[in-house]
Amino acid sequence: MTEPMLGRVVATERRPNTPHEFHFWTSLDSPIGIGTIVRVDGETPVGGQIVRVYGVVVEGFSYTDLQSPIHDVLGHDGSPGGASLAATQRVEIRLYTAHVLRQVPEEPLQPVPMGNVALASDEDVAIALRMDSYLKPESRTGIPVGIYRAGAMEAPIYLDAEFLLGPEAAHLNINGVSGLATKTSAVEWLLASIFAHFPEQKGSVAAICFNVKGPDLLFLDQAGQLEDADRAMYEKLGVPATPFQRVQYFAPYTAKGFTLNTLRSNEKLADNVSPLTWGLNEVMQFAEVLLNKDDIDAKADAFIDFLQERVIGREFHEAPLSTPHRVRSFGELETFFRDLLRGLEDRGGETWRTHHVATIRKVRNRLSNISTRCAGLVTDEGTVSDLPFGSFEDRTVYVVDVASVEEDAQDLIFARVVSKLREHLERRDLGVSHVVVFVDELNKYAPGDGPDTYVRKMLLDISERGRYLGLVLFSAQQFRSQVHRRVVGNAGTALYGRMDMDELATPGYAVLSAATKTKLATLEKGQLMVRHPHFAQPIFVRFPRPAVLRGRDGAERFPQAAEVTLEAAVLRSLRRLDPSLSLDWVKRTIAGHDETHVIRARNATIQARPERVQAFFEAQFRRIVPTESTPRPVAVPIRALPDDDPYGF
Amino acid sequence: MTTTLAPSPSFGTPASPSVSSATFHTVQRRLAALIPDAETVAQGGALELSGLFAQEKPRLDPPELLEDKTFRARRVEGEATVRFSAFLDGTQSSRVAQYVGGVPIVHATVAAVIRTRHERRMATWNTPLVRRRLYAPLSLLTSAVCDALGASGADLFDTTAERTLESIHPFAVQEAAFQAVQRDRAALERELGEAWCSQSDTLLFIDGGISDSALVATSPTVVGVVKSHRQLYVHGDDLGVILRLKAGERSSVCRVAPRGRSPVASWYLRLRAATGHDPLWGLVRVEIAAPAARTSTKRLAERADEVSRWILAEALPLSVPDARWDKMVYPIRDCEEFLRSIQ
Repeated sequence: MTEPMLGRVVATERRPNTPHEFHFWTSLDSPIGIGTIVRVDGETPVGGQIVRVYGVVVEGFSYTDLQSPIHDVLGHDGSPGGASLAATQRVEIRLYTAHVLRQVPEEPLQPVPMGNVALASDEDVAIALRMDSYLKPESRTGIPVGIYRAGAMEAPIYLDAEFLLGPEAAHLNINGVSGLATKTSAVEWLLASIFAHFPEQKGSVAAICFNVKGPDLLFLDQAGQLEDADRAMYEKLGVPATPFQRVQYFAPYTAKGFTLNTLRSNEKLADNVSPLTWGLNEVMQFAEVLLNKDDIDAKADAFIDFLQERVIGREFHEAPLSTPHRVRSFGELETFFRDLLRGLEDRGGETWRTHHVATIRKVRNRLSNISTRCAGLVTDEGTVSDLPFGSFEDRTVYVVDVASVEEDAQDLIFARVVSKLREHLERRDLGVSHVVVFVDELNKYAPGDGPDTYVRKMLLDISERGRYLGLVLFSAQQFRSQVHRRVVGNAGTALYGRMDMDELATPGYAVLSAATKTKLATLEKGQLMVRHPHFAQPIFVRFPRPAVLRGRDGAERFPQAAEVTLEAAVLRSLRRLDPSLSLDWVKRTIAGHDETHVIRARNATIQARPERVQAFFEAQFRRIVPTESTPRPVAVPIRALPDDDPYGF
Repeated sequence: MTTTLAPSPSFGTPASPSVSSATFHTVQRRLAALIPDAETVAQGGALELSGLFAQEKPRLDPPELLEDKTFRARRVEGEATVRFSAFLDGTQSSRVAQYVGGVPIVHATVAAVIRTRHERRMATWNTPLVRRRLYAPLSLLTSAVCDALGASGADLFDTTAERTLESIHPFAVQEAAFQAVQRDRAALERELGEAWCSQSDTLLFIDGGISDSALVATSPTVVGVVKSHRQLYVHGDDLGVILRLKAGERSSVCRVAPRGRSPVASWYLRLRAATGHDPLWGLVRVEIAAPAARTSTKRLAERADEVSRWILAEALPLSVPDARWDKMVYPIRDCEEFLRSIQ
């Protein structure tokens, strides 16, 4: 044993050691603290082997031989200043309680023996946390999560990829108060670590991050400021201190439809920002997300099913419709409804195919409403610009910016994206074998109480079954206690940043010692407590500042583009397809056409991604019949009067 | 046999006790095996707490005054000054292990330690001394039992080898053993005290008198502080002076020369006001090396004041919860706690 002895195990009848807990004392100046990992070397061989026990300090006590505080008061005549005059300092003890991380040998499992206590070395830490099983060179699946520090010693801490991204266990949950750069920073760091260390033989991995507030995740491809200490940590952990190399951004349009609804609207960063727009086909499958039980009863639900199966996306003609309909967009759906209801009115009928006219009107109202409620995301004309399902790329981050989108639209985006991921992963044709989905503010999307929403059901489904598919949920929230228990409970790995004492007082944290809770409530930036299936007890680690530009800094360096004219907005969109286009050409092309037509033409061009952008865009306007003035109709009497009308007036 | 233990600040494993230095229960089990007829005492208490043995009778012993013509109270002038850098104390613990034919066999542990003080914190000087022994009146036991005691491997002391028992009453036998244990403890304290005097020139505070050893009693770096007052070194007419000493006052210096021991200079010192307590509360008697014949009274008084200031400086922290906290300085309590932990 080369490490200096720092303490000795002690046990009394009143405070005995157990197989899971032991006590030891140290000198007053020892570097031991809450969260320190220590090693105990037993003194008596068991089965011919000296027992080694690894533990993590969870509680500390300090006291003197003073029997009562009043004795100290008496000794100093009630004057605290007199304490410094005492010739001798009272005997003082530093007594620590540690929870056992591992015993070697593991059988027979016995109470911790008396023995010397030393700081755990790098090698000890690996054994204590059972990292030795997944850090073998031939089958290494370790993902660095941070550095454990004690005294002058620093040891890298690894998570097991098989327990972080599946299939053994999966999912990660991060908890911490807002504003301390814990949750977002930790995810950014961990994704970089995963991209650097996820073993190739385990497949490919990409990440989808939902940016739910401000500019948090909008500059992942821009380099941030790092300090030397951060760089040293990156080097020690073997992760490149660079921003993400491949990032794709997606954002819906604003309600006006000119520009994308994102804070990443600076023209310098426009290259990898794509619109996210869906049409009727994409939305109908998830109508349930937007239509709650109050909106849709069983009858309305049946009618929507009928529409999906028989009407949408196919030729449909049946009395009392006046013409055949092929419904591909919300606009065409509205035309269909108008024709149907007029036909019913003309016939004086109250039902159509057993559906009452009131139900039809209700469904029409609710569905038509969707494109209004989700303006910018859902288009009337059915233009689709979607994530590249089927061609996801390895080690790529896809950010969907929903920060400025209405709550309904956020739910719709989340539900559809996750469902599509699931579909493709089931068919093994997503493009990657693992996808990390990062969702912040989980207590909003999967609350522990409240209605059972579609989004919550979906999150539950991912957390319970996603690991078999490679669909991994990285979630974050401020109050873990307010999140559905099954969602956080299924997260194999949990990270905790600085936490609120009120939150720590909830029953979910009862397993933590008072000292550990105190440490959690006072954690510095860049510190985390980690729980992982391989770790018998939570461990405190430090992680480096993410190598990407912080959202706030990015918003300052790349200010949001000012509100632009329709012409400028169209030019900006089309220039991504053909940089040679000019503003004059756009102005000439769209002159005399209303905004709706221009936006429709632009969207069609972006969706088609034609080789000859200019020609394609211009062609969109030729299809539109120009407005013509119609001659005023001559009033025709219902019936011509006979010339010989004796009562003619 | 004396067992030495590693100094405290290092965490070296103490030497495993050999059979001869084995603890009470080890010896008791071994004796039970060797002497099956013996009565093993399962719940015996410490002899020190039994109150069975006759203590020294309270008495007055008029000394030779060195400072004044009659005893008087003197205020210790000047600021209390911390000067002691080491403290010596010893402990003993004895219990009846077995009765063989009604004859008690006593097992005892005696120990002594010097604790040094660095930057207000205590640490162990050199190696503390610990001795475990069996005390038996071999002349009262059969040769078979004596052989068995010898074979037990314990360090055996015959309480009848040099002294005659007053009676074969079991209490008298226990008392003889008890006195032998006291002598052993004193011997350990003397051994450590002499070692200190020969190796260090810094001040040593000894709990108790210093006259037992000529080397210690003549050392200018040793101060003995006696807490028990069954024997008061004062003339009957002057007793009131001693008993009425106020906190921070000392008596005149006198010369104390117990029979068979080295003479020393001594005086009484009141550490704490005895208001509401018995008159001996907070009173200690200080012993230092006897002054040379040519030492002036003034120099002697200055020396007594100086040493008194050193002792008064030890009044804090209190050595509570020890019942003797009025007279016991905290580092001596520390010595006792240390010895208790290693026995």
